[in-house]
Amino acid sequence: MTDPRDTVLTHALQAEGTFDPGRAPAGIKRIPSGVDGLATEHLVVNIGPQHPSTHGVLRLVAELDGEEVMNVEVAVGYLHRGIEKLGEHRRYHQLGTLMDRGDYVSGIHGELAAALAAEQLLEVEVPPRGQWLRSLMSEVNRIASHLVWFGTFGLDCGAMGQFLYAMREREALLDVLESVTGQRMMFNYVRPGGVLDDITPDAEQKLRTFLRTIDSYLDEHHALLGGNEIFQKRVRGVGVIDRETGLAFGLTGANLRGSGVPYDVRRDKPYAAYTELDFDVPLGATGDAWDRYLVRMEEMRQAARMCRQCIEGLPEGDVMAKVPRVLRPPAGETYACVESPRGELGVHLVADGSDTPYRFHYRAPSLFAMQVLEEILPGHLLADAIMLIGSVDIVLGEIDR
Amino acid sequence: MWGKGILTGMRITMRNMLRGPITVKYPYERLEIPERARWAVVPKYDGEGKPKCTACMACVRACPDHILDLEFTTREDKSKHIERYSYEIGACMMCGLCVEACPFDAIEMSHDYELARLDPAELTYDLLADVDAVPVKRARPAATPKAELARADSSPAELSREEASDE
Ligand code: SF4
Ligand code: SF4
Repeated sequence: MTDPRDTVLTHALQAEGTFDPGRAPAGIKRIPSGVDGLATEHLVVNIGPQHPSTHGVLRLVAELDGEEVMNVEVAVGYLHRGIEKLGEHRRYHQLGTLMDRGDYVSGIHGELAAALAAEQLLEVEVPPRGQWLRSLMSEVNRIASHLVWFGTFGLDCGAMGQFLYAMREREALLDVLESVTGQRMMFNYVRPGGVLDDITPDAEQKLRTFLRTIDSYLDEHHALLGGNEIFQKRVRGVGVIDRETGLAFGLTGANLRGSGVPYDVRRDKPYAAYTELDFDVPLGATGDAWDRYLVRMEEMRQAARMCRQCIEGLPEGDVMAKVPRVLRPPAGETYACVESPRGELGVHLVADGSDTPYRFHYRAPSLFAMQVLEEILPGHLLADAIMLIGSVDIVLGEIDR
Repeated sequence: MWGKGILTGMRITMRNMLRGPITVKYPYERLEIPERARWAVVPKYDGEGKPKCTACMACVRACPDHILDLEFTTREDKSKHIERYSYEIGACMMCGLCVEACPFDAIEMSHDYELARLDPAELTYDLLADVDAVPVKRARPAATPKAELARADSSPAELSREEASDE
């Protein structure tokens, strides 16, 4: 029986005028035929960069055997804006505007890391109210960021409803952030020396209302998504990152804590007002996607708990230390890190005594979380691979910078 | 038990259905914008409708995007005339650093958020054009600086002198 593909090829070659019936078409590698003339081969599929489930512009080159992922390579750089290089031409108090555009889902943390690094160089002491407001806004931003993760993680698993409910809750937090900082995403609120401005009565009242209801809403969200058997089947025991792999890849944040390593910058290298706040660091047991889910859900509760403590305990006083208009830190280098919703976000600054940094580098936790995908994806189904990208919670803005 | 989670989910969905909408029908309904919201930069005017800018260039230097540009001429009596003060709103990130840097409270972040334009060329325009700058002596620095950040190491008058001398 003639292979139908031969006919197609013959027509193509005839059209080109190069058909020679006596010779097999050159340059065509025919798949070895099986019993019924069909066989399989690995297929290389390019997922992304313009794909909604890659959380931005991540590109995965996946080698598939049927539905199963055999090998995967992550390709990055589609959102590269040269933030580190730009930072070398920005004054110290302008760095926050760049950091906002790194991890754009949790801008406060980026700004805070840059401000802490500049303060270490300048040896500036931030007044207590400024410190507490930093912690408060960080935690507000953390809940908002985790809610985005919660919503989109469900989407990656095929659930839809929780996304809209998560966005509804986040909206309340964005209102608080907008009222305090003036913007909904690119806050430019934390500055070297303190914070831009005090909390507004309107924001305080909105935040109190939010904090009264958040726990019951989180229970509801957890029942809706986490209580769903289909979701549990998909995430339990899938994408296990064990302790050693997590540490070897430099994971931090909920991804590492999901694997049972108790490392939290807020507790281990405290900054802002975290020494005075009471909170627990939730840990996972096995490091699968379900553990990471539970850790993040618990982190939202802990963040809400810290927000309550911050509102109640906010000390009186200035929010900003006296710093000169143009900062010229003495030559030297420093590293400052914060616990962003994605892990340890650090800023390495090298100062040369001028008003701009000599070198500005930042450690983006998502970059490490993304690399671990190459390790954990092989052996999973393609649909699980998409779920696992969601489970490590990456933001491409900070990976590509 | 299989299916229990799904039933719970349906119950929650039903409960949310009864909670009512949180969205508004823009543009028929609009949400209130908070006081501190930062949108397009606009110049401020004094009681007589004259711009308060002294052409000190502090805002131009503060802008991380380098999108403000102020061209002025200095007359013999040292008074300044602003030829144009251009602003490229298409590249503005509404960070507010220019407003904070202004020692004379001469610009502010407006609440105008409908900033789309049909022609890209309209995204660069002049905030001020062909006006006299206020002499620094007459301009009263803002009573409370917008930013605590703007607690300058030099007073506004000094600053402006220093900046004028670099020209
Ligand atoms: S708001 Fe920021 S980006 Fe826009 S003009 Fe002012 S300083 Fe420049
Ligand atoms: S007075 Fe204000 S707006 Fe005018 S040039 Fe100086 S900083 Fe800019």
